[in-house]
Amino acid sequence: MEMPNIKLQSSDGETFEVDVEIAKCSVTIKTMLEDLGMDDEEEEVVPLPNVNSAILRKVIQWATYHKDDPPPPEDDENKEKRTDDISSWDADFLKVDQGTLFELILAANYLDIKGLLDVTCKTVANMIKGKAPEEIRKTFNIKNDFTASEEEQVRKENEWCEEK
Amino acid sequence: MDVSPDVWGQLALEASQVYLTDGTAAKSPFAGTTIEKLPDKVLLHIFSYLSHKEICRMARVCKRWRLIAYDTKLWKNVSLRPEISGLHVGSLESLLALISIRFGPSLRYIELPIELITHTVLHELANKCPNLTHMLLDFSTAMQLHDFSELQAFPTKLKYLCICLSEVIFMEGFMRKIYNFINGLEILHLIGTYEKVEEEEEEIYEVINVHKLKSATPNLRVINLYGINFVDDSHIDAFSSNCIQLECLAVNYCNKVTGSTLKTLFQRSRRLNCLLMNGTNLHSEYLLQVEWEKCSLQELDITATDLSTECLQDMLTRLPGLRFLSAGQLNGFNDSVLKTWMEAGNPRNLVALDLDSSDNLTEEAIYKFLCKHGHQLWGLGLSGMTHITDSLWQTVLPILTNAKNSKAKFLLTVISFVSSDGRYYEVVKANFERADRMTVVRTLTNCRVSNYYLLSNYKDLIFN
Repeated sequence: MEMPNIKLQSSDGETFEVDVEIAKCSVTIKTMLEDLGMDDEEEEVVPLPNVNSAILRKVIQWATYHKDDPPPPEDDENKEKRTDDISSWDADFLKVDQGTLFELILAANYLDIKGLLDVTCKTVANMIKGKAPEEIRKTFNIKNDFTASEEEQVRKENEWCEEK
Repeated sequence: MDVSPDVWGQLALEASQVYLTDGTAAKSPFAGTTIEKLPDKVLLHIFSYLSHKEICRMARVCKRWRLIAYDTKLWKNVSLRPEISGLHVGSLESLLALISIRFGPSLRYIELPIELITHTVLHELANKCPNLTHMLLDFSTAMQLHDFSELQAFPTKLKYLCICLSEVIFMEGFMRKIYNFINGLEILHLIGTYEKVEEEEEEIYEVINVHKLKSATPNLRVINLYGINFVDDSHIDAFSSNCIQLECLAVNYCNKVTGSTLKTLFQRSRRLNCLLMNGTNLHSEYLLQVEWEKCSLQELDITATDLSTECLQDMLTRLPGLRFLSAGQLNGFNDSVLKTWMEAGNPRNLVALDLDSSDNLTEEAIYKFLCKHGHQLWGLGLSGMTHITDSLWQTVLPILTNAKNSKAKFLLTVISFVSSDGRYYEVVKANFERADRMTVVRTLTNCRVSNYYLLSNYKDLIFN
């Protein structure tokens, strides 16, 4: 039996036809469908004004690959979270430039796709790990907006947790 | 030209950075989307994957990152024991400042080393951290106890308390000050110095008064006494006399425990379903007296004890509901035990079995057992059985694989012989990756895995 499809429209007007079950991995879309009772109607187009076509295409690709995944586990607060458990498919999928990576994060956040948000944020965390503040600024093109005295102040605030 | 994977990694990294600074390279359509476009909530999520040490360093990047790094949500669980991958706090003043500024009401779990366990710190925690429910106090390196005569307040909402004992420091001066505050405790860990024991018998001190402690903690569900050299049967008796809610008792590596009070324990603690007694000095005669058929025990660890064949047979035939059995390093566990157990039909609920190094069991008996019950197992440990051959695994693995298919958490400890054999390892590994991965299967003997994660109170039992 054919699975019912729905149409998703990106911010730049492109339409994507997607299996409803795949689209529903986005809590945002799922809620929209339920709230608006769009479930039974056909030929409905869901507008996604915050996601452009290039990114939406990638999100759909990710969701399609992961459609049979078990639901992601609840965050266990007592456990230090791992970042070394990114599957090789995801790692390949996320070999993109920073701009695309951040766009994906924004889309995952807007669409509320926990699995995609987790894996993209882990990727960024891995880029951060082990770097000194100055290296971080360079890597991510962040401006140091501390004055010299503020910088000294914040260094002091945190020196307690540097290794002795 | 040979290109090593490292070079590719480097190239990929450079490529991703080119977009930021260099306009001449092929520009990403999203070059304008920098990390600064991410909302605070998302940055917080990214930071949640970093250690506290990293988070402190990130505070120095820019003003916005500083604010996020100080968000109390990132400071719910804090370890301040530097030798156990915690943070190092140099002075009491900075800890007091942290408690009120950075931890505050978000703090739920804290680990404190002896230097930082003082009445001022405990007062501050009691006043500023109303949601503190889990606490670990490490006295293990103590040379002497601080003076607690001025201790007036203590966190009152604790559900979980772990005290790492020192061998020589008497705790009563501290304990009698906190008895009034720990009535709500559900989980208690007392950690002894088992791992540190090197020399011959020195004098053993009873450094904590269990008889007084049990009166202060009537609501305990889980008690873990780990490797404490003075703990014996009278202490088990003491807890059982006052803790009616007791579900799980672990006395692993308390080598004075003989089991003489187990009978009373089961009569009093009707809810007890988990008993872990690895490395204790159990006497068969005491275990024969226990009314196993009347208890609701589901999980049992008797690894590395001297229980006799007769005792094992008697116990296993009278225990109908066992889900978890860890029976490694037991000379008494032979084929006839396995056979009697099977004939009684009592392994019917079994999901985890560890027979590590119980090498009086023959391959044939294990095979018969697994043919009948292998399909229901989530975890099986057969490490240290050098006499088991590949062919057993060949035949048994397909049976066990069924367990995996029912979404079970499937664990095999393959140590002694499979190490070099790619094929089994690959099969197991593949199963593992498809199942809910909880532990990594390793092929070398330097890693011991156990079935403990299958215990129902596993989360409560974690310490350190």
